Amino acid sequence: MSAPVAVKGRAGRARRGPLISRWGSLAVPLLVLLTAAFLLPMLLIVVRSVTDPADIGAGNYVTFFTNEADMRVLGNTFYIAVICTVACLAVGYPYAYLMAIVPQRVAGIMLVFVLVPFWSSLLVRTFAWEVILRDTGIINTLLLNLKVITEPLPLIRNTFAVILGMSQILLPFMVLPLYSVMQRIDPELTRAAANLGAGPFAAFRRVFVPLSFPGITAGSLLVFVLALGFYITPTILGSARETMISRFIADQVQVRVNWGLASAMAVILMVLTFTVLAIASRFVKLRDVYGALGES
Amino acid sequence: MRIRSRSIAALFVVIAISGACGSSATPAPTGAPTAAPTAAMTAAPTAAATAAATAADTAAPTGAALAPFCTKPPSQAGQTLTVVSYGGAYQAAQDKAWFKPYAAATGITITQSQDSANATIKSQVESGQVSWDLVDVGNDFGLDANANLLEPIDYSLVPKDQILPGFAATYRVAAITYGIVMAYRSDKFAGAVPQNWADFFNVAKFPGKRGLYDYSTGGVLEIALLADGVAPKDLYPLDVPRALKKLDTIKDSIVWWSSGAKSQEQIGAGEVTMSMMWNGRAWSAKHVDNKPVEVQWNQQLLVADYWVVPKGTPNKAAAMQMLGWMSCANNNGAVSKYITYGPPNKFAPVDPTNKPDLAVSNINGTSVTVNDQYLVTNSATLDEQYNAWKTK
Repeated sequence: MSAPVAVKGRAGRARRGPLISRWGSLAVPLLVLLTAAFLLPMLLIVVRSVTDPADIGAGNYVTFFTNEADMRVLGNTFYIAVICTVACLAVGYPYAYLMAIVPQRVAGIMLVFVLVPFWSSLLVRTFAWEVILRDTGIINTLLLNLKVITEPLPLIRNTFAVILGMSQILLPFMVLPLYSVMQRIDPELTRAAANLGAGPFAAFRRVFVPLSFPGITAGSLLVFVLALGFYITPTILGSARETMISRFIADQVQVRVNWGLASAMAVILMVLTFTVLAIASRFVKLRDVYGALGES
Repeated sequence: MRIRSRSIAALFVVIAISGACGSSATPAPTGAPTAAPTAAMTAAPTAAATAAATAADTAAPTGAALAPFCTKPPSQAGQTLTVVSYGGAYQAAQDKAWFKPYAAATGITITQSQDSANATIKSQVESGQVSWDLVDVGNDFGLDANANLLEPIDYSLVPKDQILPGFAATYRVAAITYGIVMAYRSDKFAGAVPQNWADFFNVAKFPGKRGLYDYSTGGVLEIALLADGVAPKDLYPLDVPRALKKLDTIKDSIVWWSSGAKSQEQIGAGEVTMSMMWNGRAWSAKHVDNKPVEVQWNQQLLVADYWVVPKGTPNKAAAMQMLGWMSCANNNGAVSKYITYGPPNKFAPVDPTNKPDLAVSNINGTSVTVNDQYLVTNSATLDEQYNAWKTK
């Protein structure tokens, strides 16, 4: 990691030419920050997972993999993250599509609707869902008073409530990449497809959807990875059956002060996340995914 | 190759964001805040037998001996001390009862922090940067398991023989006592009053959902066993399978809570008709939120919050002196004037208005003192069995 000035001075050895080197140097502070504040601590976590308590070796990992609840909750975590991703896609795709085809001004307003909740606290939004969904909440009280139902509907402390609450929080991460890709799709292309005899649906399905694919994968991966780290929303809106692994990690860190086991759990979650992404990268080009994010 | 490394760098950023999203709001196992009444502290500072004395096997007939520093603490001018508790109405009460008067009497400068956490003590001690001097912690911390993180309590200053049995140990001494009690909605059962934890588990006789503290060592296993007929003296070691079997009978009726504020809100909103609660929170639901909530003191679990001194603090001597002063019989009960938590010093007079609402005033033959040592020693296996049942 040499200083930018030095690169300029030895222009002959700079591989990418002086312009890129100079702009590339702007990334140095971030790289330093990431190394010091993220990569290094990450490494320390890996080390701690096999050294705390002393001589534990792989013991923390054995503890985790032989624990019935840990394994079940790990499965829950990935299951909920997948459902959440699908739910966000189902809601986010039509919304982003509408944003892409309406006039710019309307699209701007629609964007605000996505972003305003995004700017309010996760906790506030989760507690708001609780007030709406619980047995004595807004929906159930209304329906009970209107005599539509005689018993409160089971709207909370289940998977449904968790997916609802998490999807609302994660929706912007789906809509924004989708929209940034869709607005760059040339409308002439679907028109050309229609010209060649495709019906509206066929043109949409065989031309527009494939072209929007980078947005779909970008949004899905973002939502999926972010969803894996949730625990407050499932704790408040879900039952114990929707417990997610981050909750267990937090318990070990803050309550049990067993940082060795917590580190092992964090490493396992990270490795599994990387594995999923590695598998995903066999089917989609990750560069497209993050490119779609960068070039809005 | 370049493509891959770039994707991975982007991924790190994503993971960093996801870490930030899942922050805070984890359960802190402590008897935390309520609001305060305004009654005057009328009991004489040197009084002998008090409400707390009912719990004592041997109430000293002539009252507790007071060390000279209890009434006239030596000057600490120029000294500073960082005292840490859980914030809210609880720490405000501690401030009024202890921190301010002690600062006024000694000239010491007390800096307060409101974010007590076991993990922070550990990270301070491990990094050698100890900035907390006196910390209020929950009952799951401060036993010998944490010996490497804490300074031993100086019992030449703290009157150990006056503290309720079990509430003073090598590295910690109780700050306040509280009860894990059954709170119920008095408007939901047509006048019927639930008498014990067995009634709590009887959803046919007392319909509605039940609030429970989602924490394996937070009392949930104990109340299940009491409900199933286990005698208080036979409670420990806990028969976990039996407790979980009992809990299973109401599993679909359980609404879990993870913070005291949440338990107060759940019963206040009527989402649950009965809840296991910290007595201060139940009191607040009734007196601050004005909800029809009553407490059944039968079979209460008696617990405490504790003072600990992190190992390696440069202000150890000053911390021990303040701890000694707060534990004196004449000072220990002062907090009960501002919040319904009682003194661990059995000779300490309590606020007469709040006396009926303190855990120590309601100790009877059915009360259970929680066995922290057992819970801490076995927390890993208790967690394992409890979580396996809970997430099933």
